[in-house]
Amino acid sequence: MTALTEKLVRAPALPGPRHRRLIPWIFAGPATALFAVFFAYPLAASLMQSFQRTEDGVTAWAGLDQYARLLGDARFGRSLLNVGLILLVQVPIMIGLALVLAYVLNQSWLRFRATLRVAFFLPAVTTLVAYAVVFRVLLKTEGGMVNQLLGHEIAWLDDPMWARVALIASITWRWTGYNMVILLAGLQTIGRSQYEAAAIDGAGPWRTLTSVVVPQLKPVILFCSITSTIGTLQLFDENKVLTDGGPDDATLSPILLLFQVGFKQFDFGYAAAMAWAIVLIIGVLSYAQFRWLK
Amino acid sequence: MKALLAAAAALVTLTGCATGGVQRAAPSIAPSSQELSGEVKVWSFDVGAKALQRLAPEFMKLHPGVKVEVTDVGYDNVYDKITVGLQSGSGLPDVVHLEDERVSAYAKNFPNGLVDLGPVAAKYKSDFDPAKWQTASGPGGKLYALPWDSAPVGLFYRRDYFEQAGVKAEDVTTWDELVKTGLQVKAKTGKRLFVADLGDSTPLFTTLLQQQGQGIFKDGKVAVNSAAGVKALTLMAELKKQDLLQNEKGWDGRVTATKEGKAATAPTAVWWTGTLTSEMPELSGKFGVVPLPAFEEGGVRTSANGGSMLAVTGQTRNQQAAYAFVEFVTANKDSQLSMMKTESLFPAYLPALADPYFGRPVDYFGGQPVNQLFAEQVRDIPPVESTDDDAEASELLKKLLSRAVVGGEDPKTVLDEAAKQISTATKREIAAP
Repeated sequence: MTALTEKLVRAPALPGPRHRRLIPWIFAGPATALFAVFFAYPLAASLMQSFQRTEDGVTAWAGLDQYARLLGDARFGRSLLNVGLILLVQVPIMIGLALVLAYVLNQSWLRFRATLRVAFFLPAVTTLVAYAVVFRVLLKTEGGMVNQLLGHEIAWLDDPMWARVALIASITWRWTGYNMVILLAGLQTIGRSQYEAAAIDGAGPWRTLTSVVVPQLKPVILFCSITSTIGTLQLFDENKVLTDGGPDDATLSPILLLFQVGFKQFDFGYAAAMAWAIVLIIGVLSYAQFRWLK
Repeated sequence: MKALLAAAAALVTLTGCATGGVQRAAPSIAPSSQELSGEVKVWSFDVGAKALQRLAPEFMKLHPGVKVEVTDVGYDNVYDKITVGLQSGSGLPDVVHLEDERVSAYAKNFPNGLVDLGPVAAKYKSDFDPAKWQTASGPGGKLYALPWDSAPVGLFYRRDYFEQAGVKAEDVTTWDELVKTGLQVKAKTGKRLFVADLGDSTPLFTTLLQQQGQGIFKDGKVAVNSAAGVKALTLMAELKKQDLLQNEKGWDGRVTATKEGKAATAPTAVWWTGTLTSEMPELSGKFGVVPLPAFEEGGVRTSANGGSMLAVTGQTRNQQAAYAFVEFVTANKDSQLSMMKTESLFPAYLPALADPYFGRPVDYFGGQPVNQLFAEQVRDIPPVESTDDDAEASELLKKLLSRAVVGGEDPKTVLDEAAKQISTATKREIAAP
């Protein structure tokens, strides 16, 4: 009996303990190698670069100089204010809208639900080029479709205030469907019985949304807010193609500035310092949201 | 997150060798009479790549030991790829196609990035467009690239609109007159004077500056608020105030608006003829060209906008063959002429401009020999200073110029502010007025 047990226990251990320790690494190896080459090394190197300065091809240590430069850089400050404004205005609008859409599209009485879900999600997978062309046609001051509809000529992309409005609208158009899908997935984890209980207690659709759905969805809403906050702070595509940061820097974002500094002015040390400052800001904001919504 | 990771990854690939510490001496080419051999790889884009691909076999016929391989890397990628290659110190081909405004920034920031062609090419100085030669040159007679195509600026106009308004384009010799003419044309035809992207007024501003013989910097000092700068911006603000600018975003907007006939003129470079003939053949016969209006009667009536060069990279293992190819393409009457005829690349090599081909009437322009006009202008393009800070200054200008053009603020005040900001950002003094 004992011999048999021993055999059974030993059987799967045939490759020996040393091999057993190796096997996980064989599986994790490729991913780890890719991570090291394309993630860990770049991060470490860019951090190092942020403490260096290159002038006329000669690289030297600069200590905290590049970070000190950031503090006095009016354009960097302006870009942070710009995304701060977008964060305060756009993210709540978008998450609210996504929540309402998800709630409506989760109703069993609604027909063509699948089609509608796809329709709302499509902007998130639209190529940037198509996106740029469409929005330029829509937002042209003269003869643009939006202005024709309004019957009024608004300089959507050439006036600092309206350019911000246009940018906020276009980001919302692009990313609401994406957040809606995530919220929808969250909604489907809420059991039928809870809706039934709410209905028995006499709750209407609005009350059900605010008292049953939202509290249950809190972790998902938190996830959406954090990813949207990060996305906003890393804003690049939309303002690059729509306004290229203009007019008068009204839609300049930190990443767009980083791109200009690095790839147009070849000031890579400063661009790296900017990247790490943005990482720090994102970290702090995400932590704050986490604490606040928990 | 993706964007940031991409940015981090890009930055880092760049760090690679930059932190090596030891600075290699700037490479310089020496004359040689040895038989050429080996491989020459070339990066180019758009129509330039087509021209090089066409000329490569002819070069290889002359030098059977050399194999030239031209890759069209595409306009959207080319500078990012070159920047990464220069910063990391590896991965570049032997020859690269650069637009004029990129050359000095690359040469200054990456001292061993581009080969100094001075020792072998200085003899060509008087054969090239003087403005472009100046752009390609560095201190101490260094030459970072050979000029390829020139971009003299003239005033394209719609013959039919001018006729309808009863005005003659030939009579317009100054900008003030053009503003008056523009108002007349607009009153009669409802068309504005020309297409402009109000979101980025810098290209027009620097073109008008160059017409007056000045760059953003003068003797290394910030000069945007000079008398020439104020004149240029005042003109732009006046055009906007009189509602003579047709505002369109970007390249596509400009092409579409022109095709739709929304503007009466276009103050732009010779390469615009290529766009007109290929994108809007139906408008054949409608356009004419006159020299650019001057700021003062008798003043310079051209400027430059764009154009390219060919440079040999410091990473080449085959300097001699690489230079031989560059020389074959640029400093060569036959090559330049064939590119003019086939790809509409306007020669920066002056001997090519003497060919009778340029005197021929051009059907698209109603039989006007427009190439003759541009060929005469190439020598007159005022050479201006270009620096490695032009890119940064352009970004700041883009932001500030709109305050005067769109916002209606006083041009002098705006330019003083621009000079101050550029001075702070580039650590350069402001030039005395």
